[in-house]
Amino acid sequence: MAYRGDFLIGTFLRFLPVLTTVLLWTAVYVGKTDGDTIAGFDLHQMIAYLLLIHISRMFSSMPGLAGGIARDIRDGSLKKYLVQPLDMIGYLLAYRVAHKTAYIVTSALPYALLFFLAREHFGSWGGWQAMPAYALSLLFAFLIGFFFEAMIGLAGFWLLEVTSIIWIITTLNYFISGQMFPLDVLREHYPVVHAILGWLPFKYIAYFPAMVFLGKISGPQLLRELLIETAWVVMLILLTRWLYSAGLRRYSAFGG
Amino acid sequence: MGRYLRLFGAFARIGLANEMAFRANFLMKMAVEALWLGILLLFYDVLFRSMGGGTVAGWDRYGYLFFVGCNYALSGVVETFFLENCTALSDLVRSGDLDQYLLKPIDEQFLVTCRHIDWSTFPNVVQGAGVMLYAMAALHWPAHLTQVIAFVVLFFCGVAMAYSFLLLLCSASVWMVRNQSLVEMWWLFTTLMRYPRELFHGTWVSPIGMFFTYVVPVLLIINVPATIMVRGLDPWFAGFALFAAVVLLILSRQVFRLALRSYRSASS
Repeated sequence: MAYRGDFLIGTFLRFLPVLTTVLLWTAVYVGKTDGDTIAGFDLHQMIAYLLLIHISRMFSSMPGLAGGIARDIRDGSLKKYLVQPLDMIGYLLAYRVAHKTAYIVTSALPYALLFFLAREHFGSWGGWQAMPAYALSLLFAFLIGFFFEAMIGLAGFWLLEVTSIIWIITTLNYFISGQMFPLDVLREHYPVVHAILGWLPFKYIAYFPAMVFLGKISGPQLLRELLIETAWVVMLILLTRWLYSAGLRRYSAFGG
Repeated sequence: MGRYLRLFGAFARIGLANEMAFRANFLMKMAVEALWLGILLLFYDVLFRSMGGGTVAGWDRYGYLFFVGCNYALSGVVETFFLENCTALSDLVRSGDLDQYLLKPIDEQFLVTCRHIDWSTFPNVVQGAGVMLYAMAALHWPAHLTQVIAFVVLFFCGVAMAYSFLLLLCSASVWMVRNQSLVEMWWLFTTLMRYPRELFHGTWVSPIGMFFTYVVPVLLIINVPATIMVRGLDPWFAGFALFAAVVLLILSRQVFRLALRSYRSASS
């Protein structure tokens, strides 16, 4: 609060992309010549979906995680974890949980305001019975986001330069996790892409929680998706552990 | 003038040499930008296909594509020549390194805002131009020579306006001192220029659209040149964009000088 002017401008600017996205989709639905829905979404559901993506990303985005791990490996400061009775992945996970909690608490108010202003778009949602599954899907979104990023960072044991991989993945992620539009939109015109993205874990970090909230995935399908997601989480955890121990065996702690 | 051009040429050479020292990095950045453009094109392709041949706020598929290309190219120009320089200003102020630039016998604004040319974003300009040409071809070249000339002039007006806004933003950061990511602020601000003006239509968004057209004319930057090519010359808007560009250039220069005056060297 020491920089109030700065804070106000920053908050205002941060809402601009939300505004322009809503305007773009409104114009799309107004200009449509064939029916009122796109891939089963009417305008309200589409806007609700795009707003819910922000909540998903609040849990699953991990800025700086992969880059930080890769840097620690490269410049040798990784040994600060090795000389202490401390597991690096466990430490980073605890750190992220704390950081995310603080972040979510501080941004709860602006988001509450945003969702209040946009309340007319939430006419149809999953209802309270969908909320336990929604909470679980957000928790899993966090875990998948964390362990996937950690895995990329650990690739730094073998590769000298991972920042470019991070760039590519961040860019791709925007599309393949369903942040631009619900992945269902692809089904009609790009069925192959749609099928592939359905099998990848990225949809769980943005698309899936929003769909659960809207009640578009429910019943047996929800159960199946949650099971697959659990399998992904377990697999990513195991893979990260394995990469970490395999990496430590090659690691020679240069520099200091 | 000749001196400035020579200096600019030297900056360009040094920047290129810097970039070529890390060629793999350069290629990688280019690949990422191409990937991003690909995703964007896919997005609009899916969007227009799902609409069954409708238009977005009066922009049909290829007209909109031209708009996207124009935005990509113009943003590329700003990023190549000015973005890094301007966002570094608040760092120069904080660290006190601005001293060495102020002491040079050359215009401060020129030196501060043009000294480093980031060639790695230049391919965006080429990619954007490619998209514009493709869209024009798909529309069967609807533009006359006068339109093309007006487009080129107004494209540079757009660059001038974007540059002025960038300079204003960064000059403001001199007073605020806290260096909250200016690049992010700039990116958020430019979301406004990325979409057709016609989207701002409705009881409570129309005033916002008016505000960002006439008071803070960020909506003119891409809209005016793109509209001219796709829909034909609108002399009133073209004239207004020209006027706005000149006013903004003067205003941003004044604000920049004011910001410098309040600068007190900080370090040793």
